[in-house]
Amino acid sequence: MKNTTRLMDVIQRSLTGPLMEEDVFNRQVTRGIRRVVREYQIQVHPENIINQDDDLADRTWQAALDFLAACGVYNQSTSRVILYTLEELLSALADAPDQVWLGSGTDAVLERYRRVEDPLVPINMGSSIGSPVPEELFIPLMQSYIQEPLVDVTCPASLMTVHGQEIRVGSPLEILAAWEEVDLMRIALARAGRPGMAWTGLMLSMSDAGQLSAVNPAGLRSSDMHTFGIVSELKANFEILNKLTHSIRMGGIVDPYANPIYGGLGGGIDGQAVLITAAMIALSVVFMAACCGSSPTHPFNFNDTGKEVMQATSLAFQALARNSHLMTNLTITPVGGPGTKTLLYETAAFTIMSTVSGISRLLGPRSATGVVPAHFTGLEARFSGEILHAAARLDRGRAEELAQRAYACYVDQLDQKPYGLPFQEVYDLGTIQPTKAWKQMFDETLAELAQWGLHFG
Amino acid sequence: MDPRYTQLEQAIRTGDVEAGKAEAVRLAESSLSPLAIFRECIEPCLKNIGDQFSRLEIFLPEMMEAAEVVKAVQETLRPYLKAGEVAQTRKGRIVLCTIQGDLHDIGKNIVKAMLEVNGFEVKDLGVNVNPAEAIRAAKEFEADIIAISALMLPSLPYVKDAIEMVKTNEDYRRRYKIMVGGGPVSRDWAKKVQADGYGDDAVEAVKQATSLMGL
Repeated sequence: MKNTTRLMDVIQRSLTGPLMEEDVFNRQVTRGIRRVVREYQIQVHPENIINQDDDLADRTWQAALDFLAACGVYNQSTSRVILYTLEELLSALADAPDQVWLGSGTDAVLERYRRVEDPLVPINMGSSIGSPVPEELFIPLMQSYIQEPLVDVTCPASLMTVHGQEIRVGSPLEILAAWEEVDLMRIALARAGRPGMAWTGLMLSMSDAGQLSAVNPAGLRSSDMHTFGIVSELKANFEILNKLTHSIRMGGIVDPYANPIYGGLGGGIDGQAVLITAAMIALSVVFMAACCGSSPTHPFNFNDTGKEVMQATSLAFQALARNSHLMTNLTITPVGGPGTKTLLYETAAFTIMSTVSGISRLLGPRSATGVVPAHFTGLEARFSGEILHAAARLDRGRAEELAQRAYACYVDQLDQKPYGLPFQEVYDLGTIQPTKAWKQMFDETLAELAQWGLHFG
Repeated sequence: MDPRYTQLEQAIRTGDVEAGKAEAVRLAESSLSPLAIFRECIEPCLKNIGDQFSRLEIFLPEMMEAAEVVKAVQETLRPYLKAGEVAQTRKGRIVLCTIQGDLHDIGKNIVKAMLEVNGFEVKDLGVNVNPAEAIRAAKEFEADIIAISALMLPSLPYVKDAIEMVKTNEDYRRRYKIMVGGGPVSRDWAKKVQADGYGDDAVEAVKQATSLMGL
């Protein structure tokens, strides 16, 4: 089905689907997840971080399809449920792309669907993914990622102000900020010598007006990734569909995400795994994603490097990789920040788990949970790039041993929130290179991982 | 817990509204005072449920269901309460929202469930709520606290607007406390914009609300 025809179909369903109050939909999600967890006997291994059970992954896939066909996606603007039958879901999934070029010219990279334990190295999207940054640090900070040879594509940080003014959603300042984001990214890409590198935007634009203003051939290009988040859990509205419509008509790479909260409507690990799987299917079918993304979140630490979240994530992404050809991505959201080993160990565990579980692209690290201004640097994306290459050679058994070992190095630190140091204290702002101390910590940790058995280079 | 409350506690824990209402009536029509039922059964049971969530031993669905049962039980027991006792069954009234420009709702829903199971009456205004709308709702609901969540940086100015609207109006300032939370909101920022309370997460939100009510 052509994109515009698909889009019209989505719009029609959101105008004609069953009417429902939002609270009732929430309960439908909760009860639906419980039902399929019980019926499909979804039970994550209590100790393993990385799923080792193919049959469980396949049952999780079936459970997610069953749940999504029964529950649908809620459109808050029309109070209607966008419903697809099981057959329609499967048909739309069969039409989903399995590869896409990101970027242009010599900076373009090919993202491809990966299987579980696939030796193909996932794309490395080095970035802090919308973490807050003061205006004066935006270019050097982004340059620190873009210049890294192991970074394939990127994503901007979020400007804290525009021309010194605080940015407000839905105001002219948001439009100005959207354009500023585009202008500053152009400069950062040029300075790093990679003008055609694809980037995901817009990070600042929460409203449709903000996003649409700078998504055009002179702004965020069709060779870039056009992102938007759906409302957790399994909800959308016309603002989101407006963004989608504009990107589809522009021929952009549709790159949405859904970030279910652990302990939320999906409940515990088992339900969370089903909900993540269903949300990724919904991103493909309803939101026409080229690549389906997630950063499942812990309710108290706001990271995704805790054991329970990684267990659910690993199972969900294996379910997707074994049963579809969807391109999928995960964002590393560690608690640790620059200048801490915690950040590096978290990045190692999450990257190993994601790589063997079949993702096609890794995003991040969104250091210090992405909330502390300027607490992120390009060096950690170099680190995740190294791990991606090494982890693509692992099977799940070996990956589990290494992920457990890395996890043991940081689990006690998470509650202490070691946010580390800001960019300007761990990088030389003149050379845009890490300080000796931060680089030494990087080298030491990489050497330690090599001793554990990861093969670099 | 007193064995007389076993069935009511069970109904709250399993989210069985009908069983909860029936058991509440049975207890109220026995020798037990409704206020005792609240203090000796419902409050400790809910506190325990909240504590379990803070350790992630149970999850949002269980909390939502427990809160639904307790709401139904409160309504059922209302006719049995003497004048003045109704207020004693509540810790406070809170309007809760995600602020203008922000559509995140699960974090807010977790806070709502935690507040409810800890004895607060909560009116959930939903997401993308204008500051003036939040204050209007607080007036209508006769709220003690306005609780605002913001997950996105460009939404924070609207949180400041809400605080300014309350702080610059003597009547509002006297009637409402404002507490804030969410990803980009820090304790320092909350202090700087003169919020009365700051909750880093749902557990902290309950502590803050309890403290703001002077309990």
